Amino acid sequence: MALTISEMNKLATLARLRFSEEEFEQFMDDMDEIIEFADTINQSVAGSTGDIKDVGAVVVDMDMLRDDEVTESLPSEKILSNVDGDNGYFVVKKVVGKGNA
Amino acid sequence: MTELLTKLSVLLHSGEISSLELTEKYIAETEKKNPVYNAYVHTCFEKARADAKRADEMLRKGLGGSLCGIPMAIKDNICTDGIETTCCSKILEGYKPYYNATVVEKLYNEGAVMLGKTNMDEFAMGSTSESSCYGAPLNPRNTSYVTGGSSGGSAAAVGAGIAPYALGSDTGGSIRQPASFCGIVGLKPTYGAVSRYGLIAYGSSLDQIGPLTASVKDAAIVYDAIKGHDKRDMTSRQVSDEPVEKSIDGNVKGLKIGIAKEYFEGIDSEIKSLIYNAVDYYSANGAEIIDVSIPALKDSLPVYYIIACAEASSNLGRYDGIRYGFRAKGYTSVDDMVYKTRSEGFGREVKKRIMLGTYVLSSGYYDAYYKKACIIRNEIKKSFAEVFEKCDVILAPTAPNTAFPSGLAKQSPLEMYLSDIATVPVNIAGLPAVSIPVGTDKKGLPAGMQIIGNAFDEKTVLNAAYAFERGNNFSEFDIPEIV
Repeated sequence: MALTISEMNKLATLARLRFSEEEFEQFMDDMDEIIEFADTINQSVAGSTGDIKDVGAVVVDMDMLRDDEVTESLPSEKILSNVDGDNGYFVVKKVVGKGNA
Repeated sequence: MTELLTKLSVLLHSGEISSLELTEKYIAETEKKNPVYNAYVHTCFEKARADAKRADEMLRKGLGGSLCGIPMAIKDNICTDGIETTCCSKILEGYKPYYNATVVEKLYNEGAVMLGKTNMDEFAMGSTSESSCYGAPLNPRNTSYVTGGSSGGSAAAVGAGIAPYALGSDTGGSIRQPASFCGIVGLKPTYGAVSRYGLIAYGSSLDQIGPLTASVKDAAIVYDAIKGHDKRDMTSRQVSDEPVEKSIDGNVKGLKIGIAKEYFEGIDSEIKSLIYNAVDYYSANGAEIIDVSIPALKDSLPVYYIIACAEASSNLGRYDGIRYGFRAKGYTSVDDMVYKTRSEGFGREVKKRIMLGTYVLSSGYYDAYYKKACIIRNEIKKSFAEVFEKCDVILAPTAPNTAFPSGLAKQSPLEMYLSDIATVPVNIAGLPAVSIPVGTDKKGLPAGMQIIGNAFDEKTVLNAAYAFERGNNFSEFDIPEIV
């Protein structure tokens, strides 16, 4: 088993996902299979990579940054158009105080 | 293959048909055939008619280029102002973007007419389009088989003759593989050649938007319209304004074609044989065939899945039910709402990839997986760069097999991952690649050949593809024409 139950639970918390018991078991099996597949890269890069720096995926061309100028942004009514906003705000349950998880 | 877009453009510019008449024909055809193929998931026919009238106005004034007045389809992960864009996921049900993606803006400026949004694997994660919350699209060549994915709906729409062209996105093969399975042309441009602004992100360092078309010249026309630097996408690059379509003539004398043996391991023997026939064709037309080796390719698949899933887990963190899309009911707190929304809103494959991505980025595993994958990624890029010092293009199969029968993805998910083996290296290295039909297997299913080029060398890639296409008429891939 590549993953323990406690590790799976930790990942689920980080990913903000909840599984039923049956789903959880199936996911553990799937994850084992995929992690074994991912582990094959250790044959090419063995040992520690702690000393290696700068492995960013894409190099940004610093000559092509846009100018820092103020332009039109998206209007608030448009951004709120997908929800029932309230007075220009997104509405969710109270975050601070009682009832906060 | 018909140069469909050129043909339609001539008819429109000469006034023989109006954009509105052409659009009505495509609407009628879509209403008839879409219930069979499930290519479109959202249609916008009233808007299409308005687009067509606007295009007719442009044509009357002598404005508008090659794409003016021609209907098209857009994959459901590309933002279209006021038109539902859901990535075929429940979590984005009802989401109507309030802006157009740059590629959509560019096409509208050309006078394009949008018929609707096409079917896809949920969040572009998959190789069969079967994880769509709207049900899978069906392969127009044989409806018992999948279209491939994730741009399966776009491929089906073009293959069935209900969209003259479509846009798709390609993160690990999602334009090229469905193009191959459906017997059409699919181009993944160089990373940075086409703006990703408005493309709902899956793997941000791998994603690219590109065309699915009936012919190579059509792909060049669409590519010319959508390419270019965009201030709103910091990964986009300056690209030559020179139209690629005008510069392809099918002359391959002296073209150096690399054949890498690693690309042919584990490939169906029928497909290998078709590609070797293509190699003979190029040779007979003056190209030089060079044997090369790219040992780093053996790690492409795990490297791809580690990087793509890591980026996806981060990108999909934004789906929380707060600002758009689906929000679960019956929650007791904000945290509970987020958990419920994500657990009910995402499909199985998406959850799996988010979990894997979370794992490879988590403390204690980051070095072992993500960092190592990035190191190997740089090795793969270097290996390709070395090959392109000797060769102009690389020829390879698009996929190890032709289309799967429907339903296979559920039985063997890892086998699905392995089927991306020939496409993912190009995304890892950020190179351009086109898939074109190369023949059929014994079942009559299309097989695809991939032509891979050096960065920003779409001209050479498409020229090589055009050379093969014009000398090999696969009439079984003819798309039903409605004008």
